[in-house]
Amino acid sequence: MRAEELKGHLDAVLLAALEGGPRHGYAVIEALRQSTDGRLDLPTGTIYPALRRLEQAGLIAGTWSVVGGRRRREYRLTPAGIRALSGRRAAWRDFSATVTAALESATRVNTALENAALEDTACPSPNPA
Amino acid sequence: MPESEPRLIRGYLQVLAAQLPGPIVEELTDGLTETYRSYRTRGLPADAAAEAAVEEFGSAQEILAGFARVNPARQAARRLLGLGPVVGGCWVAALVTSRVWPGPEPARVVLGLVLIACIGLTFVAALGRRYRVAVYSGIAGCAGFAALDASLIVGTLLVAGRASGLTALAIAVSSARIALCARAAVAAQQNT
Repeated sequence: MRAEELKGHLDAVLLAALEGGPRHGYAVIEALRQSTDGRLDLPTGTIYPALRRLEQAGLIAGTWSVVGGRRRREYRLTPAGIRALSGRRAAWRDFSATVTAALESATRVNTALENAALEDTACPSPNPA
Repeated sequence: MPESEPRLIRGYLQVLAAQLPGPIVEELTDGLTETYRSYRTRGLPADAAAEAAVEEFGSAQEILAGFARVNPARQAARRLLGLGPVVGGCWVAALVTSRVWPGPEPARVVLGLVLIACIGLTFVAALGRRYRVAVYSGIAGCAGFAALDASLIVGTLLVAGRASGLTALAIAVSSARIALCARAAVAAQQNT
């Protein structure tokens, strides 16, 4: 899955990646790869502005530490972030159930129409003449 | 990133460092270093690992555009541009109805020129794609608007002696904009 297909859901996905505890940017990407069996293919660099945006919104909080002589910024969910994640999850389940119902209903209608057409071909109606 | 690590990565980080504030570059350096090391751990030679890490990270332009969108100076400039017609409308209504003009005509011309300059700077901050340019023009725009509002308030009070009705409303709205400008300038300053 590419970044543009995730548009609108990136924030929720990043919040979910931080649910297990504080992580730095690269660890967030790794967590997303593991949780989606590598199907989520985001350019790593693009998640940093998104993390910054979530921090400005008060949904995550960042702290600096020093690891191997390098400064590292780790993020954790804030109480507002935990509430936002819960809301996004509920909204996604609702959206997903609605779209799945609509798509599967369309499939059932198409199958019924195809079956009816096959029956018409197999048993043509008698010629009125 | 240590000197021993590939030139490709150092060059990539230099492009980012030319545009972005130090703390953001430090965070990106850490992320890119981790990405590079993960490829090295998988057995790639240094140059191939650097190429793979940079490719995985995304283009520098993509990252710069992402940070430009979340720049606090850009967001503050957009709020200031939205608030501008409200403040301007209040002052026009107050000055026209009270017939009190703050200061002599040359001073009013200067205020008009400052206003035009502030609007220009704020537009640059609100629409600019270059992070540092947006920060500096945003800070200058905030300082200009705050000075303009303060001059209008002081000038009106000196000439009229007191404020009532629409003038009081205009002073209140201008005071709110001064507070917004101060907060925005501090936030933008922290991101230089």
